[in-house]
Amino acid sequence: MIAFIIRRLIATVFLLVIVSIITFAIFFLIPRLAGQTPYQLAVQYVGRNPTRTAVLAIEQKLGLNEPIYVQYGRFLRGLVFGEHYNSGTSTTYCPPPCFGYSFKSQQPVWPQMVSSLPVTISLAIGAAILWLVGGVTIGVISALKRGTIFDRFSMGVALAGVSLPIFFTGLISLELFSYKWPIFPNVTFVPFDQNPLLWARNLVLPWVTLAFLYAALYARLTRAGMLETMSEDYIRTARAKGLPEHTVIVRHGLRAALTPIITIFGMDLGALLGGAILTETTFSLHGLGLFTVLAVQNQDLPEILGVTMLAAFFIVIANLVVDILYAVVDPRVRH
Amino acid sequence: MGLAAFAAAGSLALAACSSSSSTATGSGGSSSTAGFNSAITKVVNPSTKTGGTIVYDNSSGPDSTDAGNTYYAFNWNFTRLYATPLMTYKSCTGSCGLTIVPALATAPGVGTSNDTVWTYHIKSGLKFSDGLPITSADVKYAVMRTFAKDVLVNGPSYFQVLLAGNAATYKGPYKQKGVDLTSITTPNATTVVFHLNKPFADFNYIAAIPQTAPVPQSKDTGANYQNNPVSSGPYMFQSYQINKQYTLVKNPNWNPSTDPQVKQLADKVIVNLNVNANDIDNRLLAGDIQMDQAGTGVQSAARAKILGSQTLKASSDNPISGFMWFEYLNTKVPPMNNVHCRMAVEYAANKTTLQNAYGGPYGGAIASTAMPPNIIGYQSFDLYAAKSHPNGDIPAAKNQLKLCGHPSGFSTGMAYRSDRPRDTAAAQALQAALSPVGIKLTLHGFPAATYYSNYGGVPAYMHSHGIGIATGGWGADWPDAWGWFDEIVNGNAIASAGNTNISELNDPVVNGDLAKMQSPGISQTEKNTIANAIDMQVMKDAVMLPAVYSKALLYRSPSLTNVSVQPYYGMYNYGTLGVK
Repeated sequence: MIAFIIRRLIATVFLLVIVSIITFAIFFLIPRLAGQTPYQLAVQYVGRNPTRTAVLAIEQKLGLNEPIYVQYGRFLRGLVFGEHYNSGTSTTYCPPPCFGYSFKSQQPVWPQMVSSLPVTISLAIGAAILWLVGGVTIGVISALKRGTIFDRFSMGVALAGVSLPIFFTGLISLELFSYKWPIFPNVTFVPFDQNPLLWARNLVLPWVTLAFLYAALYARLTRAGMLETMSEDYIRTARAKGLPEHTVIVRHGLRAALTPIITIFGMDLGALLGGAILTETTFSLHGLGLFTVLAVQNQDLPEILGVTMLAAFFIVIANLVVDILYAVVDPRVRH
Repeated sequence: MGLAAFAAAGSLALAACSSSSSTATGSGGSSSTAGFNSAITKVVNPSTKTGGTIVYDNSSGPDSTDAGNTYYAFNWNFTRLYATPLMTYKSCTGSCGLTIVPALATAPGVGTSNDTVWTYHIKSGLKFSDGLPITSADVKYAVMRTFAKDVLVNGPSYFQVLLAGNAATYKGPYKQKGVDLTSITTPNATTVVFHLNKPFADFNYIAAIPQTAPVPQSKDTGANYQNNPVSSGPYMFQSYQINKQYTLVKNPNWNPSTDPQVKQLADKVIVNLNVNANDIDNRLLAGDIQMDQAGTGVQSAARAKILGSQTLKASSDNPISGFMWFEYLNTKVPPMNNVHCRMAVEYAANKTTLQNAYGGPYGGAIASTAMPPNIIGYQSFDLYAAKSHPNGDIPAAKNQLKLCGHPSGFSTGMAYRSDRPRDTAAAQALQAALSPVGIKLTLHGFPAATYYSNYGGVPAYMHSHGIGIATGGWGADWPDAWGWFDEIVNGNAIASAGNTNISELNDPVVNGDLAKMQSPGISQTEKNTIANAIDMQVMKDAVMLPAVYSKALLYRSPSLTNVSVQPYYGMYNYGTLGVK
């Protein structure tokens, strides 16, 4: 198992390098191939109506006039060894992993991402618990009560959840529960260590909104998995052996049905940790999702690179955890 | 786009016109009873009450909180709370608010030697928030650091262009430590003298740019100064989380009697950044916050709510924003290089559909001139029947097509910012309006972030792709015709990338008139005459298709005091607000 984990971690590093190369190419190489000059690139990062001197100064400072491989090499070097940055009056050291400095704000990227992480983690974990518990429970009950009013109603709601975009449900929930009936007024992120109650209260709407989408998906997946599993021969055998029904359902039925759920849960959670863009934008939560939006809007390459690699890292790690959990959940994998 | 009226790039007063205050007065007066548009002409809820917290939200954020490194209109308005420039806009409504008055200085600068030498005297007894005295050397250093364009990238470049001596080669105090900028001298601790390389009659406007707010060299941290700028205004930074929030508290070392254009009423000012635009409106209407910092007006959902409620409408204002939306008509791309072809576009355009594209009557008033009404010297005229035939004058357009040698029409491209709904709607509206006269527009959408750097602002690109029309918008760096026109119609402003004279107009008459506006000793009457002449000539050249004088539906929280519209910024005057 340890060798497996080490192999996967090494593969993760290679994957992240490839992700960085692709991202770098999209934002720097492709524009150049399309005829964009370093001067034109630099114009994006200076103020309005700049003098030629000003554009050239920023072109030189950002190294935009250097070959692409040199620029990429500098990025990698900063990532591994850190980077010295001249803020004008002094030189500061950005320790590894140094994702460079924002072209727009001229502030180091990594601390900005780190400061956004608590928001995204709070949002993702809370919503994940809600959708996992809610979605799986509803899916199991629906499967066991197939064809009943509960089954039809819950699957209808699930269909709505899957169909409605988050920015719609989010705005509606804000309108109803924050402004019309101010049960959750003034939704802003409050750090957990500052006020746990306020932290939870202010995240209820984003959690529910996000979980509504995913729970719907998980309910449908769980229901389908349970229906298939509960018709397996070994379930009949378990019942024939006289096992209690809840044991048959939970230990034999649900356990097997959970395997694909865990797979997709790992992917979803990993992706969300890289930023729940729509939810964070709708609720003005300054997590990695909103950070990503701003980075793209500003064409801020160091920020885009940083958040892309962090998101890729979360997805890869989540997949690794899923692979390990497989062995725990499904005895067939162990053998 | 000149002073960025941010909205997605773009963006009132008073101050002190409060009858109950001892500060500046202006036109209009004040009133505790208010209705729709009240704050355009008077101060609403005048009060000297202190205490409380004012919360601003912004769907984006400032380009920098460093007053020496910003070019956004709302931020020029806001930085007055913590950065006091030599001159500033008077806190009053109407045309009064277009005048500049001393802030840090004791009096407006006086130009000598053919307006090439400008001298300012600083008020005595002024202190920074850290208690250190403010001297002329701090003003000089503030300007010197703006030459470090590799560090402070955002602010305007007027000092680099205008100052004499070694200004052309000076790279700022970071790269050239110990090197003096010889064109600014400080003969004593309260006098600062600017030596220009040419006469510039508008220099007092330059002195009103936040870049002249003093910076103590010992506290300058270059790119990081934005995180905690030392204050010379009524408030000072308490905290700053980049892209998230910053908080200001009262500056204990600020003396209200030294600058009557701003007030120190609320105990605290909080600015939340990058908040969902619709959520800002909801918070504003719910009373959770007091002000939308961007000052570009509410979104369409809130607009419907406000206009549908007499109570809400009474707490709103719909001023001309100081910004203008128009289409550039290129003078180099055939057949648009023929003035009659451009005139055909002017006549055929449907101004009503263009107005709708830019938000309808509450989003802007139909424009017929190249200069908006809040520019000093503005005079109304209508060469192309924009107001008399708002749906287009088709016969006149067809006549112009004959004169340009394309009686059946012609084809050309149109550039627009595809990620801006109003730009997109305007392009589509113009495409539909020109079609009946045979002018076929091929639309070319580009990202706003690279519009000026890679496409519309690159003449070679426009030429090679046959793009003869481009959407544009503008806000003046100061409210006179030079401040409005110089970057968008002066032949000298044409650049290979980042070009803002997208029409590529290089008319000697226009260029000459712009130069005359800065001639030594020119009177305001002469300037007004020239302003109108430039406006008229630009329209005769048919290089701009005016769409709307932008307006914004602003909501003023009933809990705010001393609320009024500062006409230059076209938004509420952030320098004077208090809270009940």
